[in-house]
Amino acid sequence: MRAAAAWLLALLAFPVQAEWEWSEPVTLGTARGAASFPHLESANRRGVAVSGDSVGVAWEDSRDGTPHCYLALKPLAAPAFDAETRLSAAECYTPVLIAVNGGRFVAAWEEGGRVYARVLPDGERIALSTSDAGQVTLASRADHVYAAWAEQAGRFRRIVVARLEVKENTVTVNTAKPVEARPPANEQGWPALAVRDGGGVTVAWEDRRYRHTVPMVSHSRDGRSFATPVRLTDHKSGAVNGLGAGTGAMRPTLTVWKRNRVAAVWLDKRDFLSGYDVYAAFDSGKRRFGRNVQVQDGFGDNMAQWHAQAVGDDDGRLLVLWDDARDGTPDVWLAEWNGKSFGDNVAVPGASGPGAQTDPVATLDAQGRLHVVWLEQDEAKGARIRYARGTPRHLESSRAVGR
Amino acid sequence: MRLTRILLMVGLLWSGASFADPPRGYPFLGYDAGLKAARESGKPIFLYFGRYGCAWCDHTNKKTFSDAALKKLYMQNYVLVYVDAESGKRLTLPSGERITEAELGVRLQAFATPLFVYLTPAGDKIVQIPGFKTVQDFRDYDRYVRGGHYKDQTLMEFLGAKS
Repeated sequence: MRAAAAWLLALLAFPVQAEWEWSEPVTLGTARGAASFPHLESANRRGVAVSGDSVGVAWEDSRDGTPHCYLALKPLAAPAFDAETRLSAAECYTPVLIAVNGGRFVAAWEEGGRVYARVLPDGERIALSTSDAGQVTLASRADHVYAAWAEQAGRFRRIVVARLEVKENTVTVNTAKPVEARPPANEQGWPALAVRDGGGVTVAWEDRRYRHTVPMVSHSRDGRSFATPVRLTDHKSGAVNGLGAGTGAMRPTLTVWKRNRVAAVWLDKRDFLSGYDVYAAFDSGKRRFGRNVQVQDGFGDNMAQWHAQAVGDDDGRLLVLWDDARDGTPDVWLAEWNGKSFGDNVAVPGASGPGAQTDPVATLDAQGRLHVVWLEQDEAKGARIRYARGTPRHLESSRAVGR
Repeated sequence: MRLTRILLMVGLLWSGASFADPPRGYPFLGYDAGLKAARESGKPIFLYFGRYGCAWCDHTNKKTFSDAALKKLYMQNYVLVYVDAESGKRLTLPSGERITEAELGVRLQAFATPLFVYLTPAGDKIVQIPGFKTVQDFRDYDRYVRGGHYKDQTLMEFLGAKS
């Protein structure tokens, strides 16, 4: 029965699977051992970026007993990543990385209860936050560079959005504003950012003001003032017979696609008996998100999905990646928006099969190639970070005929 | 002894904060403090994996954990640990790995809350049980864990033999 289902799934997935040519996976990082514990966790899952002719990956691991943040770069044409650089001086978590013009990157991370940023390859780090903060993320478009993080404001953390200025190898904070001026009524965290054409910014985050976790969203034209936050979810759950407060939804991610549209993807427990599902919502450019759409297909319905991320580009390609264990062990799955719905789910070759492959982070480059990084877990050897590049088949064939 | 008392007081204060929903009046600790207390006391750990706003957690708290005798049984014999299924707060696994409380849900393959996990004093998992449970259920699980039956029987086998 299971084999028949797998065969049927493979058959159904074939047309989508055939759209990508995948490179052989390569391993990042020089540390691998039972106590290395690499992690790809970050707000908006911004762990990989392509700038100029380089791809960069940021992660955290505990190779010397303390969690530190690392960065590795690879020329796009090279077969392997260069040796990694350590970003942090003290205990460090949730590093993020974005591309800025001129072939440079900006990285940000949480270290010692503050958030920091640095231009790479050779800038100096600066503190972004003035008080206790974490869960930093970054987004950019042309010269518009934004950061967001969760910062302590009284009893709870709230979301702060900063406009950054990047000049040569320095980054400075231009403005830093909380999305809401009044103190938070409950915990906020895990912000996601998307910068549209013209520099308008959308920010989403997890919020507990309704006494359960709800993704909220707001918009700003310039990062100086923000619209009143609204729920990202169209599912308004509440107490059941006076019990609880509502179902959970967490870890929102945002991506810009078609230049000024924004797609949001998050983990949602509205069907509370099968773990978190992956849901999406779309803003067609009017700064308003519409009805929610379930991303995973029927084969992934009765199990938990984890670590979902939305990835889009200006040409209109929109993908969602996550991991789930529908084939018995955790694999990385991919679904593409076809204009009406998300297509059949496809396991990413190299990030699926025996063992556990989890925690995908991904980005699309200017040529439409998909760069995917994930964790591969081996009980005996520990976890390692893997990378592969997917090229749309039409690009591959146009190369073959000399373009 | 003094350290354990301090940890219990911290736990009571912590459980009073509105980050999550452990049952009222129980000295629930955070994961790291709980593992430390368990190592020191030699008591097994009762880990309550709940979700902020979860109706079934609320129902379990009101219907089951309100029982005074059950409260006494669990407070005396277990180190009580509460983990928030959606929290970004970090904890340290017995292996030394630092992960968020939400990530612990991934490791436990949690698909529903509440999820109750019994652990040895060293932090090794004995058994995990999802969903609403009655006072009698928790008495049965206590016998299974503290009686050492988990060493040679599954929980289902133990419960089947009991009925």
